[in-house]
Order: sequence, then C-alpha cells, then structure tokens
Amino acid sequence: MNSLTRLPLVVCAAILVAAAPAAAQSDDDAALKLGEPDFTVIGLPTSLRMPAFKSAFRVTHRFTRPLDCETCSNSLAGDAFGIDQGALIGLEMRFGIVPNGQVGVLRTGDKTVELFAQYGIARQRGAMPVEASLLAALDSTNVGQRGEPSHFSPLLGIILTRLIADRAALYVEPMWINNTNQLPKELVDHNNTFIVGVGARVRIRPTVYLVAEAAPRAAGYKPGITQGSFGIEKRAGGHMFQLNFSNAFGTALSQIARGGLKEQLSNGSSKTNWYMGFNITRKFF
Amino acid sequence: MNRFVWTLCLIAIATCAAACDEKLSSIAGPTPNLHPTFASVQAEVFEKTDPAGRAACTNCHTSTGRNPSGGMNLNHDVAYDNLVNVPARGRPGAIRVIPGDPENSYIVHKIEGRSDIAGRRMPFSGPPYLTDGQILIIKRWIAIGAPRN
Repeated sequence: MNSLTRLPLVVCAAILVAAAPAAAQSDDDAALKLGEPDFTVIGLPTSLRMPAFKSAFRVTHRFTRPLDCETCSNSLAGDAFGIDQGALIGLEMRFGIVPNGQVGVLRTGDKTVELFAQYGIARQRGAMPVEASLLAALDSTNVGQRGEPSHFSPLLGIILTRLIADRAALYVEPMWINNTNQLPKELVDHNNTFIVGVGARVRIRPTVYLVAEAAPRAAGYKPGITQGSFGIEKRAGGHMFQLNFSNAFGTALSQIARGGLKEQLSNGSSKTNWYMGFNITRKFF
Repeated sequence: MNRFVWTLCLIAIATCAAACDEKLSSIAGPTPNLHPTFASVQAEVFEKTDPAGRAACTNCHTSTGRNPSGGMNLNHDVAYDNLVNVPARGRPGAIRVIPGDPENSYIVHKIEGRSDIAGRRMPFSGPPYLTDGQILIIKRWIAIGAPRN
C-alpha cells in the first residue's frame, strides 16, 4: 500500500478523532462558512451548498510546463514558472436550482465538458458528525472535436465533510466513475474507476487557507499516477484566489480519476512532474 | 429535492452508464464483427479480405494448392496449432503467439511491422495493413491467454 493509497485511511482516522468541537452550522447557505468557503478544494468538490437561485463562477488554470523540466531550454524563472508556456484552462459555472441542490458545468481546454449535480443531504450538527452531499456527474470528452468521437463517463459519489470549528475542513469523497477507460470494455481489464478522494482546507490567517487533496484509485482502471495537489489561497470578499501545485492537469472528475503520467526519461527511468496552476472563484451572492 | 427526482437521476445515470461504453465495432474499422476470440480473428482477419482491401492471410498462409508461406498454415482447422506456442520459422527464438504476452508475440511484431522482424510487414501485399483497432483486438485475444474459443 503506497502513501497515497493510505491517505483515505489517515483522513478518516483524523475525522474520527478530531477533538475540536464541531462548528455550529447555519442553515443560511448564503452566509460565509469560514471553514469551508469554496465549492472545491482544488479539483475535488466540497459540501458547500449553493443558495437557491444563486450562482458561482470558477476559472481553473494548469500550466503545462513542469516545474522541474530537463528538456526546457529556459530556466523555471526564465519561463515565469510556466506562465510563458501553454495551459489547460477550465471555466465552470454552477447554479442553485433548489434549496440544497446545485447544478453546474465545467468546460476544460482539452474539450472535456462535465455536467454535474450536487445535493446536500445532511448537515454537521448534533449526532451527525459530518456534512454530506450526493454528487452525480457526466463527463464528455472531445466535445466539439471534428472527426473524434466523444467518450462519456458518468459518475456517482458522496462528499463527506468534517468541519473543525471555523478552522479547517476534512474531506473524504468516494466516487465511482464509469467508462474511465476509453477503450471498449471487451479490450480492457477494467472499465471503471473507484476513487476515494481526500482533502483538507486549513485556515491559517483570517482570510488565508492551505489546501491539499489527493484522489487515490481504490479499484478499477488506474493508469499512471494518483493525482495529488496542494496550494494556498486567499479569500477576498466573494472571490477566492488559489495558487496550487499538482502532479497532473485534471480538473474534471474523470480526468482526476485517470490520474497523471510519469515522464519517461532518456535513460529509461521515469519521474513525477509537478505543475503550477491557479483557481479563481467568484460567488454571486 | 424529493426521492422521486433522485430516483430519476439514478436511473438516468445507470442508463447512461450502460450506454456510454464504447462499442467494439467503433474501433474494429473494416471488420466491425471482429472480437477478441480466436474464432472471430480466424473468420474476420485470417480468412477474409476486408472491404478496405487488406488481403486475407490465407491467400498465402494456406496448404490449399501450395505450401503455406513461412510454414504457417492458417487454414481453418489447423490455424490455432500453427500459431500458439509455435516457434516462428523466419526468426530463431521468436514464438508466433505467446499466450498472455502480446508484446513478445511474433505475429504482433509482423502485423505491426516492427523493426526486428524478418522479411516484410504482413500482410505481404499491404498496404493496406491491419488498422490499429484491429491489431488492438488481436492483441487482446493474446493478452487474455489466446484461448481456443
């Protein structure tokens, strides 16, 4: 069992033994939750509820230049930490359609579209130790790509959030994603992926947070490496500005399930690359 | 949102999950009925010239009226015993089909035209050669143990 596979167990244990008192959760979803101020950790969703008929917008940006790049002609600073190179960009809009329920769409620059719906089913209060939300999504690749068929990956999952006062939030997110392997099922050993996403957000200053997440593939199709990310973010009114570092570019959930690739070096070995990126969220409420 | 709506969502997801898998025919190119079974490979690849013009293997690898090329007879009743765990005549040490190991099976090297093959890429009269999808299906049959199915 590698370290990323152990992560869900560690986070579950942390949730169970969290000694801090649970935050008193307000039913006013428009009110700021200091422990869970955003709808995503980095790529994984949170249990934050969208007020009915309100919306939020998010930009994701993952620069494709590795921070440690042996084949790049310029230094990391010379390439402005990747800003001078290409990026995988995503635009997301989500909308509260009913109390506790939200729908949204994420479009990334590799022509992937994710349609998702999320519904909050439990609040952390009294005997209920966690916030819980149900998540359903449908990812489509090659949307708008001439001559290339789209591949569809439906997803079902649950988001469990343990809020620790106004200081932190811990996440465990088991998800089943169908058709992550884009080959016909007759040609593959595994066609689906079961991931147990884990994440954490810790408020270190009144408006500054540290975030981290990983999406270990517990079963099924698991090519490449497990995606992991960490970052720092600053809340400013309805905005959240996040600088992050990831070992893959995925922001849609099927992309995260497929993980990242190790770079094959000329000497036959391989290494994990890390990439800089950012998220910007704007809540319209 | 009530249970009825969520039930509808689950049904929609389940339906989509059933429908979302790629069809094998979508990658099988000119042989849409090709499956990773020996009977299918025999019928669709060895014995059939496909609509794209790729020649049937049994045009040359047959004992009907001639000696089979390379000593490999792919006629219906003997093809399996000429392939699986059988040494290749053209390249000493190579095995035509190694069950479970498509990457080291010499037939894969020949139809992919790898640099280590003796003689020409197959089919001899190509192009057209087998498509990537067709080769992938043949490799899958080998990967699952090259059963006589």
